[in-house]
Amino acid sequence: MTEESDDGEIPQLAEQRDVETVYQPAEDSKLLADAVVETIDPGLRVLDVGTGSGYLATRLRNETDADAVGVDLNPEACQQAFEAGVPVVRGDMFEAFRDEAFDVVVCNPPYLPTPPEQEWDDWMERALSGGEDGRAMVDPFLDGVGRVLADGGTAYLLLSTLTGPDEVRAYARERGLDSEIIAEESHPFEKLLVVRFRPGP
Amino acid sequence: MQEDLLDILCCPLDKHDLELEATERDEEEILTGTLTCTECGEAYPIEDGIPNLLPPDMREESPA
Repeated sequence: MTEESDDGEIPQLAEQRDVETVYQPAEDSKLLADAVVETIDPGLRVLDVGTGSGYLATRLRNETDADAVGVDLNPEACQQAFEAGVPVVRGDMFEAFRDEAFDVVVCNPPYLPTPPEQEWDDWMERALSGGEDGRAMVDPFLDGVGRVLADGGTAYLLLSTLTGPDEVRAYARERGLDSEIIAEESHPFEKLLVVRFRPGP
Repeated sequence: MQEDLLDILCCPLDKHDLELEATERDEEEILTGTLTCTECGEAYPIEDGIPNLLPPDMREESPA
């Protein structure tokens, strides 16, 4: 964004954040989209969990011809994704989807550890906050994703080194999911990771 | 929503099939209507083309 106010100051991120109620695509969204687009076969059935603006689902639809559907809790996110042309459902993660409905599930979850006093105040906070350990959405994702994946299906999560990726991968293993880091990108205080999960033997 | 979305959707409460009743459509999709669970009878609204499949106790607008 290049908008400047009269005194030449560029609006601070914190100020922009106040006016947004839907998380807009950032480095993490792009890293995940690039990695998944490069990896998956064309024409698959894909679910984008917490689709937000619909960015990831749109890129998968355009670049891999995926039949990508979005789901989000936030009604305004659903509206934005719908207007971007993404078939979207307002729902609680996997609850409204049938068993084995998808070949691929992708998710850029809230992954930052956040003190409890800052939590759940508004939709944007909800899109950013991963709870005290950063895993408030990550763990339920790993609990539930196996049910909606078809045979041979894969799931992709964006994680940060701040989220404790080793613990997340151990948690996944306990739920029968093998994992592999397929992309990473260094940032000043963290490394962003794209992790692929697939049901193991 | 397009009608073929029904192929992947189910009742969030008991995972049974949903029955579509459309009250408003355009050329491509259903804009307003209801999805009703064929098992438990719970009804889920479709508004502005978006089905709301949150369980009834989560349906309020508040993020909290």
